[in-house]
Amino acid sequence: MIQTLANWILSFDILSGMGYPIAWGLSLFIVAALIFVFVALNALVLVYIERKVSAFMQVRLGPMRVGKFGLLQTVADALKLLQKEDIIPEKADKALFTIGPWTILVASVATFAAIPFSDTLLAADMNIGLFYVVSISSIVVLGIVMAGWASNNKWSLYGAMRSAAQIISYEIPVGITLISVVAVVGSLNLQTIIQAQGGAGNLFHWIPIPVPNWFIFHSPFLFMATFVYLIGGTAEINRTPFDIPESESELVAGFMTEFSGLRWALFFLSEYANATLVAFILTIIFLGGWQSPFVNYSSAQIALSIFSVIAVIWTVFVRMKSGRLSIYPLGLSILAAISAWLFPGFAVWLASPGIFWILAKVAGIIFLLMWFRWTFPRLRVDQLMYISWKVVLPLAILNLMGVAIWMWLTGEIQF
Amino acid sequence: MSRLHAEEMILNMGPQHPSTHGVLRLKLTTDGEIVSKIEPVIGYLHRSFEKHAENLQYQMVTPFTGRCDYLAAMGSEHGYAMAVEKMLDIELPERVEYLRVIFAELQRIASHLVAVGAFGLDVGAITPFIYCFRERELILDLFEMASGARLLYNYIWIGGLAHDIPPGFVEKTYEFLDAFDKRVAEYNQILTGNKIFIERTADIGVLPPEVAINYGVTGPCLRGSGVDLDIRKVQPYSIYDRFEFEVPLGEGAQGTVGDCWDRYYVRVREMEESAKIVRQALDQLPSDGDVQAALPKRIRPPKGEVYFRSENPRGELGYYIVSDGKNVPARMRMRSPAFCNLGVINEIGQGWMISDVIAILGSLDIVLGEIDR
Amino acid sequence: MEAPDIFSVLQAKFGEQIVDFLEEGTLNPTVVVKPEAVLKVCEFLSQNEKLQLDSLMNLAGHDQDGESDLSVIYHFYSTIHDHYITVKTFTPREEPSVVSIANLYRTADWHEREAYDMYGIHFEGHPDLKRILLEEDWEGYPLRKDYVPAEFYRGMRIEKVK
Repeated sequence: MIQTLANWILSFDILSGMGYPIAWGLSLFIVAALIFVFVALNALVLVYIERKVSAFMQVRLGPMRVGKFGLLQTVADALKLLQKEDIIPEKADKALFTIGPWTILVASVATFAAIPFSDTLLAADMNIGLFYVVSISSIVVLGIVMAGWASNNKWSLYGAMRSAAQIISYEIPVGITLISVVAVVGSLNLQTIIQAQGGAGNLFHWIPIPVPNWFIFHSPFLFMATFVYLIGGTAEINRTPFDIPESESELVAGFMTEFSGLRWALFFLSEYANATLVAFILTIIFLGGWQSPFVNYSSAQIALSIFSVIAVIWTVFVRMKSGRLSIYPLGLSILAAISAWLFPGFAVWLASPGIFWILAKVAGIIFLLMWFRWTFPRLRVDQLMYISWKVVLPLAILNLMGVAIWMWLTGEIQF
Repeated sequence: MSRLHAEEMILNMGPQHPSTHGVLRLKLTTDGEIVSKIEPVIGYLHRSFEKHAENLQYQMVTPFTGRCDYLAAMGSEHGYAMAVEKMLDIELPERVEYLRVIFAELQRIASHLVAVGAFGLDVGAITPFIYCFRERELILDLFEMASGARLLYNYIWIGGLAHDIPPGFVEKTYEFLDAFDKRVAEYNQILTGNKIFIERTADIGVLPPEVAINYGVTGPCLRGSGVDLDIRKVQPYSIYDRFEFEVPLGEGAQGTVGDCWDRYYVRVREMEESAKIVRQALDQLPSDGDVQAALPKRIRPPKGEVYFRSENPRGELGYYIVSDGKNVPARMRMRSPAFCNLGVINEIGQGWMISDVIAILGSLDIVLGEIDR
Repeated sequence: MEAPDIFSVLQAKFGEQIVDFLEEGTLNPTVVVKPEAVLKVCEFLSQNEKLQLDSLMNLAGHDQDGESDLSVIYHFYSTIHDHYITVKTFTPREEPSVVSIANLYRTADWHEREAYDMYGIHFEGHPDLKRILLEEDWEGYPLRKDYVPAEFYRGMRIEKVK
């Protein structure tokens, strides 16, 4: 994308004099700025959505005062945080205290460089994309330990140590899970991985239910691996039920206890950036990235119709039983089905890959993460370790081996 | 390689900490995550209730009792009123007794709702807390109807009530009860049966019955250990002998008898039982009668002393009152249940992790207002 | 077992250590014991098979008028036999001292600390006798009737109560 941008800049008569290296540097800067803006806006929006989602789950309204439906609430909050006094505790290690939050932010923003938003829209098309993503995103733990240690606060130290132990423990099963997909594709390039998921086929190769060729439907093992990754990813971004490093009812705020103002905002920013990242990786690796779930427009029409019928039955069933279920999703799906039949262009658009699909999938996964957070209690630190080493890790290894055997059985690879 | 230098770390939990339910300070001696000793430091909320009471006339003490256990002000007022009435030997009108029971039991539900919700919060579940507060709000609305206040009522007076209930109160209470039964099922769905919640609370902080009695633990904490001791049954005061209700006991359904889960679940079931009592009391409530008929003109109990205990949401609330024949008490001692319940934390919290100490503290359901008085 | 019976059992066992039995003027029949005998009496109360007063409901200090002896009142209850007894002991106000029962009834630990805090009654053999509700360096014992608050506490003026 950078080269494309550089060439585009040079194509203007006025600018063509600057030469390729300068144009390249300029476009590098522009792309980096774009990514940062995306991360910042993303956090801004997600904070608002999280507040609204949690509020609706808890029979509240959430922010309502600042702007229509409280839409400007997070903007106001961000402005407030920027204005706050910059406090560094007297006994804190000033250098580390200052670097810590930035390290986390840089790590989480840098990871987005390799994330493909569509078949053309990505900052850096690396042949080791997945490796890059996994390795850079694990720098986050360094920043957390820095911040926790530098605060010179016992709660922060506890939070940092828990966080380090947790993230490192879950890196391993997550890594192995990702490798099992790499074994199928034979490439670390994220674009290649997504392209390998195009088209449609049978569920688990043999069951005659037509599904998109996403890796979640590739085999029972990758199906399981999706959930292993979901668990591991939730743990890696420290969200409930794995929010042990910052468990507010135990460790006050964990490694963030001593931080305020802008530095604290950076933590917040990177927290949401990381959550988005995990959703992106899950989408790219298992849910087909920017691929559409529909192979062609007629399948979009049929699938939406079937989905609407299921939605009608489900809604009627639930409302008869307990009397409480929103009818908006039902209405939305019926609307989509009708429009798909009436306007073939809409169906064609639905069936074509693009940025809409990856963002929609990511949004769904982030909603799932929010759902977790506002429903579950928190695990204890030893239970967390137990799950990591004794449940998730063996499962991940089993998946890796299972996938290999599966591929041999289905004839995808031959010896 | 030389030996690794390791030592225990003193961790100050509180007085400002999200999970100490007020201004409590726990001095934890920790070895890594394991807590080897817990030393509660209390007194941050000391407001000299007992000293104040020695300088106030009997009727003026009533509002102060509510300020001790602010989550169960009706219960505190009820206990105090009954203690003084016992000294004065007052016979109360039926309607007053029924209304008092209704309010005390509604207060028990409200208080347990806070306890259950806050316990969920302590183990990291945020949503149940809001659900519990939704129902508590309805009860507070009822209290507001009757007394005009939502938290500290000064409603139960010595010898009667401050006002009669307003029209429509009984119907609204019935409405609340009808809605409430379904809501309890909701709590069970989101919290009680949750696998993570059970993992976090079952088998944690087991309180054996004999230890509980020795430490003076009372109320749901004691019954969570399987000891069948409810003052409403053992030594029925007011008109509790007229109602049919069960005393829920800890059975160790998810782990050992007397663990955090048992203490929690006893509270959930007690709410259902309290709802039953309120329903019966509403059914039997006499329709007429002046609630202030028995108000004494002067409150001058004869020389003597009394120790009167009643079952507050947190346990045995005792008032030890000494009178020397004047209109101010010569000695007023409040035996607050949470004070005794908190004393056991070092015994049952030792050897657990920091997160478990939070859970254990939450399961004891303390209110610092009555611990420090 | 009724309170008078408990009294007679105690008198038969301890003789002169049991000073008095108060039934009139109190709604809780009270056995008055000598301060040094408290622990022995309580041990007997808790362990005797017919008594088994295993629960100490309340422990309170009391100052009658600011001149005479201070007293400590124990309220016992048996969860097994469902009976009650109140034990009272008097101790001189110059050097108030009572034997601690904190190791027998663990709940007495904090109650005794509070009585010490408020009345300055020293409990011999208490594992950790220090102030509980007030600050460690608070002067005087506030619930004594002759208590006069100090003018300052750590440089802060203490307001006089009318």
